[in-house]
Amino acid sequence: MTELFVVITVIAVALIFDFTNGFHDSANAMAGPVATGAFKPRTAVILGACLNLVGACLSTEVAKTISGGFFDDQLITVPIILAGLLGAIIWNLMTWLFGLPSSSSHALFGGLIGAVIVGAGIASVHGWVIVSKVLLPAIVAPLVAGIAAAWATRLAYRITRKTPSAHSNTGFKHGQAFTASMVALAHGTSDGQKTMGVITLVLIAAGLQESGTGPQLWVIIAAGIAIGLGTYSGGWRIMRTMGRGIVEIETPQGAASGAATSATILASAHLGFGLSTTHVSTGSILGSGVGRGAEVRWRVASRMAFAWLLTLPGAGLVGGLTALLADQGVFGVIALMVLLAVACLVIYMLSRRHKITHANVTDSHEVLVFTAATPTTYPNDPRLDPAKPKKAKKPKAKSAA
Amino acid sequence: MRIDWAALGVVAVVSIMSSVIFTILLATGIRLVSIAKIKSNEGGSGTAIVSAGYVLLGIAGLLVLYGLYLIVPQFH
Repeated sequence: MTELFVVITVIAVALIFDFTNGFHDSANAMAGPVATGAFKPRTAVILGACLNLVGACLSTEVAKTISGGFFDDQLITVPIILAGLLGAIIWNLMTWLFGLPSSSSHALFGGLIGAVIVGAGIASVHGWVIVSKVLLPAIVAPLVAGIAAAWATRLAYRITRKTPSAHSNTGFKHGQAFTASMVALAHGTSDGQKTMGVITLVLIAAGLQESGTGPQLWVIIAAGIAIGLGTYSGGWRIMRTMGRGIVEIETPQGAASGAATSATILASAHLGFGLSTTHVSTGSILGSGVGRGAEVRWRVASRMAFAWLLTLPGAGLVGGLTALLADQGVFGVIALMVLLAVACLVIYMLSRRHKITHANVTDSHEVLVFTAATPTTYPNDPRLDPAKPKKAKKPKAKSAA
Repeated sequence: MRIDWAALGVVAVVSIMSSVIFTILLATGIRLVSIAKIKSNEGGSGTAIVSAGYVLLGIAGLLVLYGLYLIVPQFH
């Protein structure tokens, strides 16, 4: 009975993680098209959600292990999985609050590593794997995607220099729509698998499923729906940072960065050097800005790099702390659920102080949390973006336009 | 375990090359189709140019299809 309760809780938490994964990564595919107007914000997230769902259902092979080589598989227990997931969820929500794109996989690994350290000591973690699978890719991904996007952007502008922008913009927007859809589909297949793998592992560990079998149909569908709903909810704070915060994205530039993102993601997935989707797409946007010779906000970029560095230890810290409670049986698990609910509520309340929705996502380049404009004047405060005239309309009316 | 520098190099080269090739195809296609449109607006004929443009855009489309093939595991 106790075990069943824990299993159900862990499955629910895994689906919540899947949801945060979706809204955290919505921007990877859709920030560019939303910024250039290739897709309207609502269309972008609906399309992204559908492709995520389709992608999740397409994936046949699910990762047999979630340890990622960071520690021995034997160390993985249900409480450790629970603690790891909680660490990842809290980290995802915190970075979302500040509008910072960060890798959901790194957050999950961080949470698990923190939980393993608390359970089995720091010696059980393989340090070199952290260097080769986390630190190095986090440097390589934006570099490769950035160079690709910078060159592609330069070429796109050079080739269409004499083309009337009315003609070129339509063409580039179509190209961008295709590349963004590919990124969303690829994201569904790779990240949907992650949650399915976690749930299947938990079911096997609890003796509810035979070991060596694949995920059950309801697991596939539930994971697909959770990540799709997450994508649909949009993660507008991160979308604003990626679509406008790093650099202003023009249409040819958006098409070039979309091409670089999808090419790099596909190459890394099929040629054996795994890179995080988040790092790739931020790198492309950054590189495309450099390629166009636009003013890149390096302050935002460095804050993002800082968040990437903190993802593993940050999620690890939360994972480690929750691991202390996760081992305490039913009451520990109930206490953790209460704490999770409180944390979600606090972060949600903080996010409401400067709310960002599909209606105002491209109105400004800043994601405010504690500072600056008072909530009553936001988001139409002219101080935030002098280029935009003051709009008196309600957000409702704006979305219809 | 050591770091797989070879795989890293391959990923870097393939990523950069394919994004550049895709963008060249897309941008050149757009440019040619636009030139043809302007020509036909001025009363001339741009059939050869417009078909060349659509061929390039078609190749770019094939690249997208190849990406789709790579994503969907059922295809391979």
